[in-house]
Amino acid sequence: MDIEFSQEDLAFQKEVQDFIKDNLPKGMDLWTKRGEWFQALREKGGWDVAKWPPAFGGPEFTPTQRYIFDMEMARHSTPPQLPFGVGMLAPILMNYGTKEQQDRFLPGIRDGSVNWCQGYSEPGAGSDLANLKTRAELSADGTHYVVNGQKIWTTLAHIAHWMFCLTRTSSTGVKQEGITFLLIPMDDPGIEVKPIITLGGSHTVNEVYITDVKVPVENRIGEEGKGWTYAKGLLVHERTGLAGIQNSVLALEKAKDNARSVKVGQGTLMDVPAFRNKVGALEAELLALEFTELRTLAQVSAGGDPGPESSIMKLKGTEIQQRISELNLEAAGVYGAAWGNPVGHSFAKGATSAYLGARATTIYGGASEVQKDVIAKNVLGLG
Amino acid sequence: MDLSYTEEQNLLRDSLQKYIEDNYDISQRNKLTKSDTGYSATNWQQFADLGWLGMAFSEADGGFGGSAVDTMVMMEEFGKGLVVEPFLSTVVMFGSAISEFGSSAQKEQLIPGIIDGTLLGTVAYAELQAHHDLENIETTATAEGDDFIINGTKSVVLHAASADQIIVSTRTSGASDSKEGISLFIVDAASNGISRTDYPTVDGLRASEITFADVRVSGDQLLGQLDQGYTVLNKIANRTILALAAEAVGAMEVLYKDTIAYTKQREQFDHPLSEFQVLKHRMTEMFMEYSLSKSLTMKATMLESQNSADAQRTIHALKYLIGKASRFVGQNAVQLHGGMGMTEELRIAHYFKRLMVIDSQFGNMDHHLEKFVA
Repeated sequence: MDIEFSQEDLAFQKEVQDFIKDNLPKGMDLWTKRGEWFQALREKGGWDVAKWPPAFGGPEFTPTQRYIFDMEMARHSTPPQLPFGVGMLAPILMNYGTKEQQDRFLPGIRDGSVNWCQGYSEPGAGSDLANLKTRAELSADGTHYVVNGQKIWTTLAHIAHWMFCLTRTSSTGVKQEGITFLLIPMDDPGIEVKPIITLGGSHTVNEVYITDVKVPVENRIGEEGKGWTYAKGLLVHERTGLAGIQNSVLALEKAKDNARSVKVGQGTLMDVPAFRNKVGALEAELLALEFTELRTLAQVSAGGDPGPESSIMKLKGTEIQQRISELNLEAAGVYGAAWGNPVGHSFAKGATSAYLGARATTIYGGASEVQKDVIAKNVLGLG
Repeated sequence: MDLSYTEEQNLLRDSLQKYIEDNYDISQRNKLTKSDTGYSATNWQQFADLGWLGMAFSEADGGFGGSAVDTMVMMEEFGKGLVVEPFLSTVVMFGSAISEFGSSAQKEQLIPGIIDGTLLGTVAYAELQAHHDLENIETTATAEGDDFIINGTKSVVLHAASADQIIVSTRTSGASDSKEGISLFIVDAASNGISRTDYPTVDGLRASEITFADVRVSGDQLLGQLDQGYTVLNKIANRTILALAAEAVGAMEVLYKDTIAYTKQREQFDHPLSEFQVLKHRMTEMFMEYSLSKSLTMKATMLESQNSADAQRTIHALKYLIGKASRFVGQNAVQLHGGMGMTEELRIAHYFKRLMVIDSQFGNMDHHLEKFVA
């Protein structure tokens, strides 16, 4: 056993760190110069699409290099990409799309000119996603589908140009069959997007009403009725990415700094045993989870399956994200009650909305309770 | 980075598993825990013959040059088998301290006997007023010529009744809670002035209260530097914590797996318990606690074996996490076994009790959480 990265991997880590130092825009530039950052990543050799296979322009990273790459990007708070195109739809297009579909959609996904949203959840289909009811009926001449229904919790639908959408083309047989994967343009007059303001006060998710939208069959991915199979692989992919370990490592350090800036008596909040022990308990678990991710990586690097440990990443990782947001909320003290106006501690303004917003992490991408069902069944063999 | 075991470590694990399978079911263990010494001298000799007692010692000292990872592999299997032989006290606590800090004369005198199974040792560190503070020591060693005179009482000394030699932490100078002024001595268990009260521990092992009344030791019996014994003592604590953590991981694995097996065959309300969601989720949480404990045990063990600057902090985090996980897994194993979980008959009770004792040794979870965040 050896906990150290190899010389080659350490050299790669240095290369990534140097690249970030040379290319990451500073301060406010981060927002205005995002495009240049992604361009630099692209010119470096496909680093803008680090998870894509080389055949589609991605870099030839080993599993360890990819881990190091993700870790360094998170540690340096580099601008994230919207996950829907690059991370979620692209792998499906690569695996199940036609050459025409790949040529048509992948370039816009990669250069960020086309925003995508995910049309999965419905009012009657949340954790039980296969229960979806949005109908897609093939026209008599077989050239297009007519889609009717409603999607909900659709993240960033209000800025999306396209939606990848699960629709029902057949209601016979088990629920998982008869689902068809369609690509729908959001500028169709039959699409109506209504905002949902979440309890943190932000507008991220939406309702999407779909009324008599005609979708040409060229916009269907794979075979009719097989959409569930395509989406399921994606869900697994989505879940492993949601643990956010390195972001949490960074966020916990920030939360400790915040607490140290809060004066309590002669000391700071970090001297208050009840608070400090919560920080310690959280950090110990995060250390363990971080190493659990490395155990998974080691198994994959050795050519094996990720192993049962990987199943706990989303479940535990999101719980930790929530607990870090709680620390900030508590550190904000009385100022946590102020809404919107910057008063009191410098970090206090965002603390409450971040805490409220973080409640979603154990709901989206498979609620924690569903994750437990999945682990019980697939890992522990419980009926 | 490579987190797999070496070929030798796989063989070691296989031979331990086979031994435990052949020699160590719960009824055999119960016989041992009810015997005079609380373990089997025959088993101990076999441990020696199989090379397990020499694994952790360097080749120069006559051992096999094993690492902390080898000890982790062994302790995890001992944890699964709930092994009662005094490996922890003799090899991990006593032996590794001699090997790292002993003079060449001390090593030559003591290590061969450990490896061939003829010498048992332990460490007397706990005191009544200390709670979990390693440095809080009121037992004194007073210089008299080249000798030292030890007076004081040590508590819950593991396997002291079987031990031939005991490392005793004493105060040679400084205030009773100072890390300075601590000195360790290797004391012959048969020395004049030593009296013991022996008793079983809740997990079926043996321990003693030991009183030292004007026990004379020579300067040659000092382990490490005079007044600088805290370094040695802390090293013993760290090594022991890593070993205990691996043992706890092994015990937790048995507990969560036994619970799964039991809920599959036990029916209530016309269904196996394993079909009830509230129980499935609880067992998932038990599995998570076990997995995280195993991860941090691996990490801390590797950091310690590489003398990393992060090792000390990680070991504090580990002892906290192990304590918390052990309590959760142990309590829920009993809970999900229902009335059967309360019986002496099932082995889970014994694993649960072992985990309780592990938390109490070398600082419990609260103690180490405090140290971790300090």
